[in-house]
Amino acid sequence: MAGILIVAEHFDGVLRDVTQEMIGAATEVRDGLGGPLAVLIIGQDVDALASAANLEGVDEIVTIAQPDGHFDPALYEEAVCAVAEARQVRLVLIGHTAAGMAFGPAVAARLGSGFASDVFGLSVEGSKPIATRSGYGGKVSMDLAFPDKPVIVLTLRGATFKAPEAAGNASILPFAVDLDTVPGAGNHIDYLPAPPADVDIGKAEFILSVGRALGEDKNLPQFAGLAERLGATLGCSRPVADSGWLPKAHQVGQSGTIAGNCSLYLALGISGAVQHLAGMKHVDTIIAVNTDPEAPIFNVAHHGACVDIFELAEALEREFN
Amino acid sequence: METRELFWEITSLGHTLFFVVAGAAMAVAAAGVAWHVYRYARARRSPVPVHPWRGFWRMVFDVFTQRTVHRRDRRAGHAHTPIMYGFLLLLAATSIITVEYDISEPFFGFTFWHGDFYLAFSLIADLAGLGLIVGVVYMMWRRWQVRPPKLAYRREYRGETETRPDARAWEWDDTLFLWALLLIGVTGFLQEGVRLAMDQPPWGPWSPVGWVLAQIFLGLGMDEAAAAAVRRANWWIHGIAALAFIAAIPWTKAKHIIAVLGSLSTRDALALRRLPKPALPRTAVAEDAEPEVGFGSIAEFSWKDLLNLDACTKCGRCHEACPATASGAPLSPRDLILDLRTHAARSAFKPGANAAALIGDVIEAETLWSCRSCGACMEICPVGIEHPPMIVQMRRQLVEDGAMEQQLRDTLDMIANRGNSFGESPRSRGGWTAALEFPVKDVRAEPAENLWFVGDYASYDPRNQDVSRTVARLFRAAGLDFGLLYESERTAGNDVRRVGEEGLFESLTEHNLTAMGEAKQFDAIVTTDPHSYNTIRNEYPDFGDVAPIRHYTSVLAELLESGRLTVVEPLGKRVTLHDPCHLGRLNGHYDEPRRVLELIGCELVDMPRCRDNSFCCGAGGGRIWIPDPVGKERPAENRMHEAASLGNLDTFVVCCPKDLTMFEDARKTSGHEGDFVVQDLAELVAEAIDLKSLDLKEVPALVDRITEAAATRIADTVADRLAERLAETVTERVLSELATRAPTLAAAPQPAPAEEPQEQTEATPTAGPWRAAPASAATLPPYEVPAKEGPRVLVAVKRVGELNPDFAIDEAGGTIADEHFEYELNEWDEAALEEALLLTEKLDAGEVVAVTIGPEDAEETLRRALAKGAHRGVRVWDESLRDADPVTVARVLAGVASQESPDIVLTGAQSADLGHGATGSALARILGLPHAAVVLGIEWDGADAMTVTRELEGGMRHQLSLPAPALLTVQTGGNTPRYATMRMIKQAKKKPIAVVDGAGVGLDQAGAVVRRLYEPPKSGRAAMIEGDAEAVAKAIADIIRDKRGEV
Ligand SMILES: Cc1cc2nc3c(=O)[nH]c(=O)nc-3n(C[C@H](O)[C@H](O)[C@H](O)COP(=O)(O)OP(=O)(O)OC[C@H]3O[C@@H](n4cnc5c(N)ncnc54)[C@H](O)[C@@H]3O)c2cc1C
Repeated sequence: MAGILIVAEHFDGVLRDVTQEMIGAATEVRDGLGGPLAVLIIGQDVDALASAANLEGVDEIVTIAQPDGHFDPALYEEAVCAVAEARQVRLVLIGHTAAGMAFGPAVAARLGSGFASDVFGLSVEGSKPIATRSGYGGKVSMDLAFPDKPVIVLTLRGATFKAPEAAGNASILPFAVDLDTVPGAGNHIDYLPAPPADVDIGKAEFILSVGRALGEDKNLPQFAGLAERLGATLGCSRPVADSGWLPKAHQVGQSGTIAGNCSLYLALGISGAVQHLAGMKHVDTIIAVNTDPEAPIFNVAHHGACVDIFELAEALEREFN
Repeated sequence: METRELFWEITSLGHTLFFVVAGAAMAVAAAGVAWHVYRYARARRSPVPVHPWRGFWRMVFDVFTQRTVHRRDRRAGHAHTPIMYGFLLLLAATSIITVEYDISEPFFGFTFWHGDFYLAFSLIADLAGLGLIVGVVYMMWRRWQVRPPKLAYRREYRGETETRPDARAWEWDDTLFLWALLLIGVTGFLQEGVRLAMDQPPWGPWSPVGWVLAQIFLGLGMDEAAAAAVRRANWWIHGIAALAFIAAIPWTKAKHIIAVLGSLSTRDALALRRLPKPALPRTAVAEDAEPEVGFGSIAEFSWKDLLNLDACTKCGRCHEACPATASGAPLSPRDLILDLRTHAARSAFKPGANAAALIGDVIEAETLWSCRSCGACMEICPVGIEHPPMIVQMRRQLVEDGAMEQQLRDTLDMIANRGNSFGESPRSRGGWTAALEFPVKDVRAEPAENLWFVGDYASYDPRNQDVSRTVARLFRAAGLDFGLLYESERTAGNDVRRVGEEGLFESLTEHNLTAMGEAKQFDAIVTTDPHSYNTIRNEYPDFGDVAPIRHYTSVLAELLESGRLTVVEPLGKRVTLHDPCHLGRLNGHYDEPRRVLELIGCELVDMPRCRDNSFCCGAGGGRIWIPDPVGKERPAENRMHEAASLGNLDTFVVCCPKDLTMFEDARKTSGHEGDFVVQDLAELVAEAIDLKSLDLKEVPALVDRITEAAATRIADTVADRLAERLAETVTERVLSELATRAPTLAAAPQPAPAEEPQEQTEATPTAGPWRAAPASAATLPPYEVPAKEGPRVLVAVKRVGELNPDFAIDEAGGTIADEHFEYELNEWDEAALEEALLLTEKLDAGEVVAVTIGPEDAEETLRRALAKGAHRGVRVWDESLRDADPVTVARVLAGVASQESPDIVLTGAQSADLGHGATGSALARILGLPHAAVVLGIEWDGADAMTVTRELEGGMRHQLSLPAPALLTVQTGGNTPRYATMRMIKQAKKKPIAVVDGAGVGLDQAGAVVRRLYEPPKSGRAAMIEGDAEAVAKAIADIIRDKRGEV
């Protein structure tokens, strides 16, 4: 056997978007690499998840029952390796997410496979996959090849590939792995939800976000004031929340909140790291201000300017006064 | 004979009583003096050399001329002079009497207090008393009627609405001091008056005040009995008041009478110009003893500092001069000194019992950070208190504790990493010269008469770069031979030192001195930057030989005076000049810029605060790296109002790069944009000599340069192309040759092109048989690993490269040259390291071992980790690892881990450069360790299991327990990494680093090979809005309004 294996990601009984997106990416290269295209679901209520993953292009859905259903990298690694070996797959796709980062590289090390992470472009050249990823905050792109590797593990960037819309008719194949005695497995304790907050980035239509360029919490009132004046919700990038200058609820991005209803996004002094873009690159109108003309944020913004954000804030303040 | 009876109608009991009281008063005073001397003797030694005898004569001069007391407050000076002289003369008078009465008469039978001597004595004493009273009365009127703000203790700058208890005590101190003096003076005259009224000696008018009083008493009909009653009672009042005053001298405001003698004598001629090196501890014997950090408690102040504190008279001159106080910052130098003095006294009285922390309780950190180290306070202090060095000493402690604002910390990091405060590439330091019409010498390559030390602002700030070019052109026009150190120059360190980052200052000094030492011959240094000027002139000599330095204002004055620059047309502008603190107040160059202005025909109108009273722009002491709170008036804005009040000004002239930046900005924000322009002195000179009309090009040299550059470029391109073409044609030829000669060989693999280990096209879709080949740990040469004492935490740290804005990719080679990177410690690794340190600190056991894979340069990263608290370092390197993928890196780290057998392994969740987010999890698998990724918190008591909190998408967190040992990849935000001062980094040199030479693995298990490295396509990029902030704001406002219209 051969083919592609996609490891489904889900939380709380719901398939994560990145799973469908990986299916989309895989269908693009399926012809070049050869099928079948299988989705692996490890979890509690695998049937419900399987039907969500049953999209156009999927040939098979392999299911493994995991009694407690909480993600554990050791169990995922064990399961994925077992399935990959049994099916002798050529390509394993995993989401580049908090979970994927935990077991993807471990699977690669265990299989001695080809490996690349945070991949945002996938193509085939002479029946071999070429992965595209970036470095240096997105300023440099690179194409990677995996010579002599019988199997390749890639973790794919979310919100990048297009998921198929039509439903598929995959067959469901339960697979048995003993997940009870996996060495190194942890014990689930609890989930801690994000603390309640008085901002809802997910609902905001107009967001003014500040990045590390803020420099220090003392500068915050200037931007909070400006946001209020403009009628915008104040958002931020991770370092601003990490430093405790703004509560976590203001953070836009992968580990913060997705600006789901936003139609105007003003990014001030944010470089445009992939995890930040994950939360806002879909927005209709993005204005980015950054003193570095090479900042990757300009790759997703519609309008850009290279000026100092403090000067700009003062000028905007005057403009709206 | 002319004299008087000393103890009129005093019984022998009274006599004895008087001597007992007098003796007691003297004893109390003596005890006070002894107590102070004891405190000084126990205090630390002065970190700066003290030359008491040299200072003594200056002190005598200052005291007797009252020079320092008259400065900037003539009336107070005029009042203080008679008080001081009055007091001294009366003290002398009393002493003279004592000498006769208690010594010369009883022991030698010799008397002199009579006759002409007595008459002169009476007259002088009377006048002295009169002066004292007049002075004191004026002071009372001033303090309670005029009420100058500088005498008020309520800290309005801190929003105080009530006077604090300590300050109320100070008010009492002032009040009692004045009343006591008045009481002594008045009772003295009263005594004299009644005595003269009773005795009516013929020489009465020799005591004019007393005599007039006597006449009045007699005129009012005072009879003998009344006079005698007053005389008897008042004698005691006067005597006891005077003795009480004597007793109180060392304990009250009056102590300045003594302390000032010391503080003025021990004035440091270089105070603030040259800050002290950290002192060695008092008990230091070994040569390599660690110097003290700074002042973290009052016990660390030197005797000279304590003496300074005791000398303060609360006159408020520093309070009035301080730019921080004036702009509402939480600092008043007067209050700082008084708070320190109160704290010092309390701590000395009850050592140990005073739990108040010096920094935090007594002096707040924000107070210390408010100082601009402009020197205005110490310059005006009449008693020679040197406030700024004490402030810097306390800042050193704050820096050591990492207690500073984020922006400052980032700036210091930037300076440490890149040698400039702009975070720019060191290589672009000389970039401003590119737009000049002529080449600027590189002193590293050829000698020049003058080395121009440019400094950060003049090198990197666009507005100042203009000025730098103008100065360069002026020098050129005058035929002044100069060159630069280019990227070998780093921040001079003046402000770094004043911020309190002494270690970083030292390393900058070392670097610049070495660069100067290695440069070709030069005779002198010039600079436009007063800050660099100050430190190179006054501080660098403590660290090594340095050529004499001149500020460009002196150079320009000389060039104009000698005719090397000729004024074409006098400018006729009405200008004012801002004296930079570091040029004027600290180094005394007030006249040079003024001479230049005169020579170019400007009419100079000085602002009220000029020369030694110049008002700081607010940027000094590192304040330019700490933002001022928005909304409050900044010192520079305050200055703009002052300039504007002069009226009809054309230009506000500056001669300091930081001033240009500060005032350009303040002119706009303070609403004086239309009133005048801010220009550098050099720009006015350029205008006056019509620099534009001069042809500065060195035509032959330029032609040479162009030809050379063109030739190199052509040669490079041709060479590449040629090589490519050659390779292609040769390969083609060889292949076709082969094909014709041996047709079977044609199917053999083609010779691999030089650029890439490209995979070969194969007929079958799979790459060989399916097999799992688990990645294995590297076998590294063994190094010495100490026996475990407690848990061992292994932390992997990496120095990550950040690309310069002008980076270029060598696409053919698939690499980016090293010169395009600036390196720093990966922020996720920093978080991991912090977590490791917290773990061992909490357990109070174990060690943290930091491991890095990197070339020798990367050792600095490791040292940073050691400075923060890691116990040991391991560095592994082999050239083959330069572009290693995460799996290979994980294998090498596994090689280290298998020698270390750690109990916990921590890595960053990802690295900031390539962002694989994979190394940690791959390493865990190779080591077979339980693991979790993107971890925000770890709780571990050293036992078999730990609780780990990992971060999920959307801010959700997941808590789980893992068996130990385990590997965790750490996310930022779970902790706040500590700051490592340069001093800690230097100390870390003593910690061991094991260097492992060799990779122990090949790249055979590498996960991937890079096929192509390229810049992402520019299509789909943002439409850029051009123009300044104003224009951009307008455009953005339009977009917002437009959008709002739609919504
Ligand atoms: C698992 C994981 C999850 C993450 N999740 C998120 C997330 O949800 N959200 C998120 O934001 N990040 C997230 N990150 C972090 C992310 O990788 C970046 O580190 C972060 O987004 C960088 O924030 P920044 O752009 O503000 O800072 P930087 O990358 O430091 O950029 C600051 C920018 O400001 C510019 N600048 C500086 N001064 C000025 C000035 N005066 N005027 C104008 N411009 C200026 C600079 O040129 C620079 O481009 C995550 C990382 C990981 C590993």
